[in-house]
Amino acid sequence: MSALASTASQVIELAQEFTPAEAKANAGASSAGFAYGLAAIGPGIGIGYLVGQAVQAMARQPEAAGQVQTTMFLGIAFTEALALIGFVVFILLKFA
Amino acid sequence: MFALEFPSIDNLVKWPEYLFEGTFAGFNKISLILVLAMLIPTVLFLLAKRDLVPRGIQNIVESIVEFVENQIIMAAIGPEGMKYLPLLLSIFLFVFFGNIFEVIPTFQMPANARMANPLILAVVVWVTFIGAGIKAQGFGGFMKSSLVPPGTPAALLPLMMLIEFISTFLLRPFGLAVRLFANMLAGHILLVTFGVLCITLWTLSPLVVVLPFSFGMLVALTGFEMMVAFLQAFIFALLAAVYINLSIHAH
Amino acid sequence: MSLLLIIAAEGPAKEADNPILPVVPELFWSALTFAAFFLLIKFVLLPPVKRTMDLRAEAIRSDLDAAEAAKASASSAAGDVDDQLAGARAEAAAVIDAARSEAETERQSILAQANAEVAKMKELAEADLAAARSQAMDQVRPKVAELATSAASKAMDRTIDVEAARPIVDSYLSNSN
Repeated sequence: MSALASTASQVIELAQEFTPAEAKANAGASSAGFAYGLAAIGPGIGIGYLVGQAVQAMARQPEAAGQVQTTMFLGIAFTEALALIGFVVFILLKFA
Repeated sequence: MFALEFPSIDNLVKWPEYLFEGTFAGFNKISLILVLAMLIPTVLFLLAKRDLVPRGIQNIVESIVEFVENQIIMAAIGPEGMKYLPLLLSIFLFVFFGNIFEVIPTFQMPANARMANPLILAVVVWVTFIGAGIKAQGFGGFMKSSLVPPGTPAALLPLMMLIEFISTFLLRPFGLAVRLFANMLAGHILLVTFGVLCITLWTLSPLVVVLPFSFGMLVALTGFEMMVAFLQAFIFALLAAVYINLSIHAH
Repeated sequence: MSLLLIIAAEGPAKEADNPILPVVPELFWSALTFAAFFLLIKFVLLPPVKRTMDLRAEAIRSDLDAAEAAKASASSAAGDVDDQLAGARAEAAAVIDAARSEAETERQSILAQANAEVAKMKELAEADLAAARSQAMDQVRPKVAELATSAASKAMDRTIDVEAARPIVDSYLSNSN
């Protein structure tokens, strides 16, 4: 507990030494991971559901597999875009 | 922690210019990859013989053309989309060869992990699908079919037109460019991360036992990135075809 | 935690460029190379490949057509052979029929000839019989006349001329005959 308190006081001391730009960079760096992690949840579920349904469709109608596959890739591309925008936000927070 | 020195993003994606330094035409590694991505398929196409029975390089070239014809044009547009074959074929090949340099030793850098190339290609697709729509339906018809969804109540019309305008004319090219850029940058950073991890573990004697796992993961991810390089090229060309199809067929 | 913050604080001294934004030289080279590549594909590289593929598709289609035609002609030749076979069979049947009917007429004619011969022999025999009979009658007739006249004269006690009674006896006999 005392270790935590001393760490906290150290952080406060460090934070007082930061210029505003540095403080912003630090905040960005520590929130970048959260940004990408949160952005990946929804598309993760979405792509899983999408591919599962596509596999089911292909198993039921193997002769339509080509059509289903193309549509599946399109759906993945649109769903994945959300996660990728999260990744871009990560890059922006971390490095910009 | 591991004394892991992760390089800054500038060291990962920014390259010094070899030629014309500081001018608008500064020639760096990305430019070199782009020139190679133009030259390699050109050489492949030129080396392909014109036999009735395909063999060797001719087989590869014809498989690529047939892939674009069947899996992209026929799947997304139909037979009337065949006039877009040169554009979609060049987009597919250019994106693929720009991507595949991600896993080629001594390059290890996808040209599309910089925003420039995806942006140029997205603008080309944007101009193409707007031009195709205006040619097929006329300016007013194209604007009506792309901005007014069928069955919109009159009260919602301004809002719907704004939303559709943003989604069709702004988000489509932006999404195309960002999808390709972010995928390749993420893959590149992933490979760099595992590469740096392997190097760090090699110097740390007690932790060297986990090096095989890390290295195995690096090899597996290299294979995965080859697949991603192909898949992103396919998806870029397929989405371009889908957008062209949405423009020439009023819904 | 403090270590992380210190590392973060020690980050790049100069402000890093935004990694999202494109830079002008790369835009220039990207546009240049893609334009060159598109023009190369459209006017130089794709047409010969496409022409070869079309030629091959054409060749395959014409080969298929030729195979179809060959199949049709083969089946028509098989039809011809069948026709010929049927013709030969019909001819053979006709020959057999002709032979059979010829044999039949031969048989008929032989039979008729035999019948005619038999009939002629029968006729001859009947003629012989009739001749013998009339001969016998002729031999018998005077005797009968004589006997009849003698019997009649005896019965009537008067002499009857035989020559006068002969026509009566003859007519009687011919009536009874």
